[in-house]
Amino acid sequence: MLELTGLRRTYGDLVALDDVSFTAPAGHIVGFVGPNGAGKTTAMRIALGVLTPDAGQVRWRGEPVDARVRRRFGYMPEERGLYPRMRVLDQLVYLARLHGVGRTDARRRALETLEVLGVAERAGDRVEALSLGNQQRVQLAAALVHEPELLVLDEPFSGLDPVGVDVLSAVLRRQATNHGVPVVFSSHQLDLVERLCDAVVLIDHGRIVAKGTIDELRARRQRRLFLVQVRGSARGWHDSIPGVDLAETTDDGDVLELADDVDEQRVLDLARSSGDVVRFGPVRPTLAELFREVVSA
Amino acid sequence: MSQGASEPRSTDRGSWRLVAARDFSVRFRDKGFLISTAITITVLTVFILLRAFGGESAPSFELGLTGNDAATILATVNELDEGAERRGIDLTTGFWDGEAAAEEAVRSGRLDAVLAEDGTLLGESSVPSQLTQLVLEAVARVRIAGALGEAGVPTGEVDALLDRPAIEVRTLVPVDPARDANAGIAFIAVLLAYGQLFGYGVWVATGVIEEKASRVVEILLSAIRPRQLLAGKIAGIGLLGVVQLVSIAAYAIVLSVATGALELPGVAVGIAFVVLAWFTMGFAFFAGLFAVSGSLVARTEELQNAMVPINLIIFVSFFISIGALESPDSTLSVAASVLPFSSALAMPVRIALGSATTAQIVLSIVLLVGGTAALVPLSARLYAGAVLKTGSRVKLRDAWRSARLTDGTTGSR
Repeated sequence: MLELTGLRRTYGDLVALDDVSFTAPAGHIVGFVGPNGAGKTTAMRIALGVLTPDAGQVRWRGEPVDARVRRRFGYMPEERGLYPRMRVLDQLVYLARLHGVGRTDARRRALETLEVLGVAERAGDRVEALSLGNQQRVQLAAALVHEPELLVLDEPFSGLDPVGVDVLSAVLRRQATNHGVPVVFSSHQLDLVERLCDAVVLIDHGRIVAKGTIDELRARRQRRLFLVQVRGSARGWHDSIPGVDLAETTDDGDVLELADDVDEQRVLDLARSSGDVVRFGPVRPTLAELFREVVSA
Repeated sequence: MSQGASEPRSTDRGSWRLVAARDFSVRFRDKGFLISTAITITVLTVFILLRAFGGESAPSFELGLTGNDAATILATVNELDEGAERRGIDLTTGFWDGEAAAEEAVRSGRLDAVLAEDGTLLGESSVPSQLTQLVLEAVARVRIAGALGEAGVPTGEVDALLDRPAIEVRTLVPVDPARDANAGIAFIAVLLAYGQLFGYGVWVATGVIEEKASRVVEILLSAIRPRQLLAGKIAGIGLLGVVQLVSIAAYAIVLSVATGALELPGVAVGIAFVVLAWFTMGFAFFAGLFAVSGSLVARTEELQNAMVPINLIIFVSFFISIGALESPDSTLSVAASVLPFSSALAMPVRIALGSATTAQIVLSIVLLVGGTAALVPLSARLYAGAVLKTGSRVKLRDAWRSARLTDGTTGSR
């Protein structure tokens, strides 16, 4: 399990991270979500020891992380980078060896990783000769080649075509499920995060604003929203109900926000008495909606 | 590098060797390296061949003599031959019947000059001064010998008198007869070492920029510590510099001996060894600074500015070293050969000329090695603080500050 506790980092007057804490348990995929400049990259760099926090700790399996532990981590930085003129296979072997893998194993693992990511036939090419999509796959291979115990990936899906997205999703799932590797990745593709992740960490302006499974986030949200569609009713039938406000009007009906003390059954009764109720139910917000609510709050 | 086959090593200690191996082999196969080696070899070859077969060989002259007094002519020719031998001049003399024919031979270039009986030395547009001296001496000796003979001095005494040198040249300080040759070798060696120090230093800087600009450095630093990366890069590139210098020196010495351009190969080997030793120490001293200047900038184009201070130091020390070839014992030369900023180039010159004392040599080594040891942590910290700051030029102060703890352990103890 990876634990970040109380991380703080400033750049001059700018507070990039303020008391950031979250965990990534073994076998879990954690989505790290937040607007641009929220502090995702800073937090990930600190987790990998590329950057030093002003305060706080990074722990792995209960122990403070040092250089010895860190080289068993896999990292894909936000700023992609490989030696442009080095051949793909040579590059992966070199990186695997820097992570402590022996010579023969490094070669075998490099070839396997390229195979898994579907770029094995480009093993002998220089990186600069590859398409951006394939460079991205090699970059992922660089994070995976030494069979890391932890994966930290900064925007791994950006720049991938739909096939690449599927391949990477499967790879991450397999790493987590089969090898028990905690995976932390950041992304702006919230539908993807929702589909793939066991847990989500939402960060904004350097502070964690929400974390937990998506269901937990939904349950914990403050607003009680119900989508109601009543055929034949007068507009504004709900205006007079105390504690009920119109949040939004959609093609599928009105989204009503209920105060905490309002019983939804009473609202349903009132709806029924004003016309034919076609829809009535709690709104299951998407991650994107949760994100907007939390971030704009 | 034959570490474990299957078990991953748990520390990154020794990963500098992996870095060094990559940096060495990538550049060894680089076209720029091959081209620069080829150019150096070509220049040296031309230089050595010129020395072996060119201008340095003994001067040779063709001199004609005319006249009717056979005894005087014979005596003059004798004196000329002896004088030529003393001076190491290759002289051919010949008797010409008739001044007109001899004059024609001078005009056509077959003769360098003609000596007539009346003492006229005739050249085409000028007479080489060495030949003039030779003839002057021979004619004077013939006349003096003639006059003394007429005065009744016995022939043996005349010869003894004339053969005793008139003056003997001595110096207060003993002069090594091979000093000129040594200075020549030292000059070439320092020129090579200067090019090497500068060229390989720039290679370290551009290597750092390459990793920074391609962003690969962030991946590297997630696997190993900045110090390992820096040490590996300097070691790999430095080793290539040493290998190249050794190969070039070996080639030059072998070629010089084979062609006879060099009479004392032992001296050249000694000088080459000294230059190599001080190059290695000097490279270690400067390479960290080159790496820092590379880590401060975002693109290769900005490197020139960042390197100005280092360039200036190396350039000035190169010129002091050239000056030391002339005056190895001047205060400037002595100081430069001891201070770590300039000793890499200046000390080999003074050693080659035999002017450095043991104490100065030891002090030079101590200061250079000690200076390097003091500079390494400084460079490593600045490098670590700057190398991840992509985008724009990094200020030294910011690099220093942001590196507070970056070497290895996250502030988590």
